[in-house]
Amino acid sequence: MSARGTNAVRAASVRGRSTDAGDDSPLRIVDIGHHSHDVLMDAEVAFWSLIARNRLDDVLADGPLIAAWRAKRAAFAEEMDVLRFRLTPSAVYFNPTERCNLDCTYCYIPADMRRRGQHMGETEMTAALDRLRDYFRTTVPEGRKPQIIFHGAEPLLNREVMFAAIDRYHDDFRFGVQTNATLLDDDAAAFLMERGVGIGLSLDGPVAEIADRTRRSWGGEGTYAAVIAAMERLRGYDGYNVIATINQGNVAELTRLVELFHAHEVPACMLNVVRCTQPAAETVRADDALVTRHYLAALERSHALYRATGRKLVVVNFANILISILAPTARRLMCDISPCGGGRSFFALAPNGDLFPCSEFIGLPAFKGGNLFQDRIEDVLASPAFRTVTGRRVEDIAACHDCTMRHFCGAPCPAEAHEMNGGMDQTGAYCGFYAEQASYAFRLIADGRHDDFLWDGWDDGTEVAFSLDLARLSRSTPGVGGEGSSWITG
Amino acid sequence: MERISETTLTPPTQTTEDRQPKAADIIASRRSCNADGTGLSHYILMDKTPRS
Repeated sequence: MSARGTNAVRAASVRGRSTDAGDDSPLRIVDIGHHSHDVLMDAEVAFWSLIARNRLDDVLADGPLIAAWRAKRAAFAEEMDVLRFRLTPSAVYFNPTERCNLDCTYCYIPADMRRRGQHMGETEMTAALDRLRDYFRTTVPEGRKPQIIFHGAEPLLNREVMFAAIDRYHDDFRFGVQTNATLLDDDAAAFLMERGVGIGLSLDGPVAEIADRTRRSWGGEGTYAAVIAAMERLRGYDGYNVIATINQGNVAELTRLVELFHAHEVPACMLNVVRCTQPAAETVRADDALVTRHYLAALERSHALYRATGRKLVVVNFANILISILAPTARRLMCDISPCGGGRSFFALAPNGDLFPCSEFIGLPAFKGGNLFQDRIEDVLASPAFRTVTGRRVEDIAACHDCTMRHFCGAPCPAEAHEMNGGMDQTGAYCGFYAEQASYAFRLIADGRHDDFLWDGWDDGTEVAFSLDLARLSRSTPGVGGEGSSWITG
Repeated sequence: MERISETTLTPPTQTTEDRQPKAADIIASRRSCNADGTGLSHYILMDKTPRS
């Protein structure tokens, strides 16, 4: 079956079926593939309840759950509106150079730019961070620091300028570096760890033969050995993670990759599907069904390793989907929400000052919203280029508008949808995969396993907005709650 | 998360129905927080201040 055929089959189940309340009711019953439970969902406000199938009739007969949902619906809608439309930026993907010493198969930055592009000089770096600091003082709540993620291309090619900036602006920003690890020597690793800088590495396979298929230098030399060496330098540092980009060449190796990360005590990883924004990336894209099968197997393996050792390897992009279900406003990543975070909770800065909604757009001149050195950031955020991205709502996408998982997926990614499928009103490349991830997340919650997949303290700073009142229910009818039951409704 | 359950959940290691714990009949929960000042893309996590 083709990927799009797979998507069509899956789409039918995630739309759910109507309740007896009729088609006008926003409630849908969704089969998530669990052996005993379905999800009752009001997708518009991201409300859900897992219900044993033999209790569905009880619950839907206007019982306490339905009453509590009605009472809280407006508050849930307001919360989703804030999350989706009223955030202001708090982070920048900051490219201190256009150049890269690698020529990875799927890179979204044009090859000529990576080979012959420019570095940002110290003067420009200072001017850029001064402007960003002044802007964020107007948008980021007091007591929090905005985040600067040095990104690429390969930021360590411009190491001296970048490191000087980290020292100069340490009171103003939290810093992170995403690097291919080839230049992360002992001194660089020590510098970053001593300053608490977040570090992201990239590795696509559990052995060199696989990892080096996609990530290699212009001369064809792979990066596997360098990344393993870097992981050893960073062992014990909890501020780093490793990203694997899932593609045809490594999709069957995700479980072994998780085992490798866990063995090296990597605290967190991301298993990101390759984005098909550039045509070359689409040539290595793996089929949805294949990605789903191996991705879920890798998650299960990470869980088994945790149960065996007591040490978690958090798969952050999946954890984020779990959190988007458990506490929508506590999510940390903003790809799987619509509109995505591009241009509204973060934006990307090219070395010449050009601003884009996300790094994914840096190779697409039509999405340049302005220039940091010439334009006001507020005006850039309001530019047509940015508005095209920040105005992309999942409700406006024909394939998504009635999907119950739409606020746990967000139809990522706009750059991919635009370049691969022809417009912002299209889905991206992995509809079926995202639907299965959300269904799997619900199954974990039903089985009480979800906390094992989340980092400790993920809910610090959150409060209960809606929950069963166990104390009172224990004095009444077990299960659905009878007379005398109540709900905490925030 | 608060749950209604009459059984103590144990960590399952298999997905077969007969080896799974009995799930609570009804599970419903939502937590909330101020969403301002957070949110990155798929590239990096900086959720907490690292410790070396």
